[in-house]
Amino acid sequence: MKRYKRRQYSIAEIMVFLVPLLIFLVILYGTLFWTIYVSFTDWKTIASNYHFTGFKWYKFLVAQPRFWMDVRNNLKWLILGVVPTVVLSIFLAYLLELSPFPYVESYVRTLILYPVAMSFIVTGTIWSWMYEPNRGVFNTLLHSIGIKATLPFTTDPNTATYWLILIFIWQYLGFSVIIIQSSFRTAELQEMIEAATVDGASKLRILFSVVLPNIRSGLMVLVSLLLINSLKVFDIVYIVTFGGPGIRTDVLALNMWITTFQQHLISAGAGLGVIIFLMAFVLIIPYTIYALRKWFE
Amino acid sequence: MKSKNRTLQLIVFIVLVLLSFAYLLPIYVMITTSLKSISEINTGSYLSISGNPQFNNYREVLYGSDQFRSHMMPRLINSMIISFSVTFLSAFFGGLGGYYLSRSRSTFTRVLFVLVGIALYLPYQAVIIPLVILMAKTRLALSYWGLIIAYLILNVPLASVLMGTFFLSVPRELEEAAEVDGASKIQTFFRVIIPISLPAYASVAIIVFTQVWNEFFLALSLSSPKTQTVQVVMAEAKGTTLVLYNLQMAAALISVSVPLIFFLFLGRYFIRGILAGALKG
Repeated sequence: MKRYKRRQYSIAEIMVFLVPLLIFLVILYGTLFWTIYVSFTDWKTIASNYHFTGFKWYKFLVAQPRFWMDVRNNLKWLILGVVPTVVLSIFLAYLLELSPFPYVESYVRTLILYPVAMSFIVTGTIWSWMYEPNRGVFNTLLHSIGIKATLPFTTDPNTATYWLILIFIWQYLGFSVIIIQSSFRTAELQEMIEAATVDGASKLRILFSVVLPNIRSGLMVLVSLLLINSLKVFDIVYIVTFGGPGIRTDVLALNMWITTFQQHLISAGAGLGVIIFLMAFVLIIPYTIYALRKWFE
Repeated sequence: MKSKNRTLQLIVFIVLVLLSFAYLLPIYVMITTSLKSISEINTGSYLSISGNPQFNNYREVLYGSDQFRSHMMPRLINSMIISFSVTFLSAFFGGLGGYYLSRSRSTFTRVLFVLVGIALYLPYQAVIIPLVILMAKTRLALSYWGLIIAYLILNVPLASVLMGTFFLSVPRELEEAAEVDGASKIQTFFRVIIPISLPAYASVAIIVFTQVWNEFFLALSLSSPKTQTVQVVMAEAKGTTLVLYNLQMAAALISVSVPLIFFLFLGRYFIRGILAGALKG
């Protein structure tokens, strides 16, 4: 029997399926290019000024020590927000696979996944209280187990960013474990693990030479999502330290907001927006290529 | 073999204790602190359960008082209106766009898919200035539509990809049967595809709802006093009531309760949504 041949889309069908998405995409990319244009103009008060000035505001930005502080902090976020989260989530997901206790998995899943339902504003508010140096929860706990040190946490200029990153790791751990676990659960991988177990390979050996090489695509997706989310970090810094002490925990996204909405240096703010976009664009390339291949395979 | 299992049991046990501590402590702290009086907090009993639970704190946070001016009730309603509108419209338009992306294989669709993929993770900083200008010029910023449209621009691409991931796994034979019977693609979509994709719509709805409810940057930059969302008022409360930790925690608990209830009752849709975002639908 001849296979039924699919019809082409009619005008009415294109209007219904495609046009709504296209409209939103056009506005989105329109505003993106508008931002790029603004970054090359001389708009430095509330009143708009579209006079073209080239790279003037980019030069202004890179001449500021604050910009380089942000870049350093964003790099810390990109590395320390992603690497420990990925390593911990692999460890936890593998442990759940091996777990000899019943019900452990559903308990742990609910336990570490609930933060995905919370905003960084709420998490940040709670953690600010726990980090509070003089009376906060962590120092109270330390005192109660006999450690008399009073840790400064986010008020210490040298380590504040690391304490902020810890909140991010806490929030994204459950999310990461879910993604890693789903990579484990393919029939091929389960068979390979079984075969290796029969051959007498140790559990650690199986993890490194069977499991990890076979979940590369899942890992790549997870790393991309974590990278992009730690690059975009704004809420945690805003709510917990607002960039302080001084500007020691400032990041590009917060600098962009302050430059635009408090200092009204609109062109400079747009320039920061463009810089953040370019970084995000680079980070998301592997994910997009993978998605494209998978989608149209 | 046996001793090895015992080591494993020990490791699992230790990890369970550590995780329980790390993930229950913040919730415990939030709930117990929200019920204390400020004098109780000041006496140093930061970790104990309140001897005299102050349920009044919640009323103060919801309806305001002299020391807590950023009352939450109107903002809860704002967040509800904005989040539910965006969720409904994103799921609807996302379903349509996602269906197109999952069924057309043309070069145009591939280009479109890449554009959608970049839009998914676009930092809001790259679009906020024009959005503020547009919303101010059209005076949409004064109504809920300002934030609703801004969120739609960013969430319709997301919903399209999530829905499309689900549609890719729907067997084509269903649609072909309907089309042989003379149904148009539009009829097929509404009568065949939507009814069997309701669980997928639930997953996408819960992801979009949580994202919009929790979003801060756009809400901070675009909301007018009348359309302020829960997250913005939370941030404001933290800035203006520096030492009133009990009220801050009560506000945190109230604002997180809505998505948390969804999570507790619809957890599996949540997980399916997350996995669809990781392209594992």
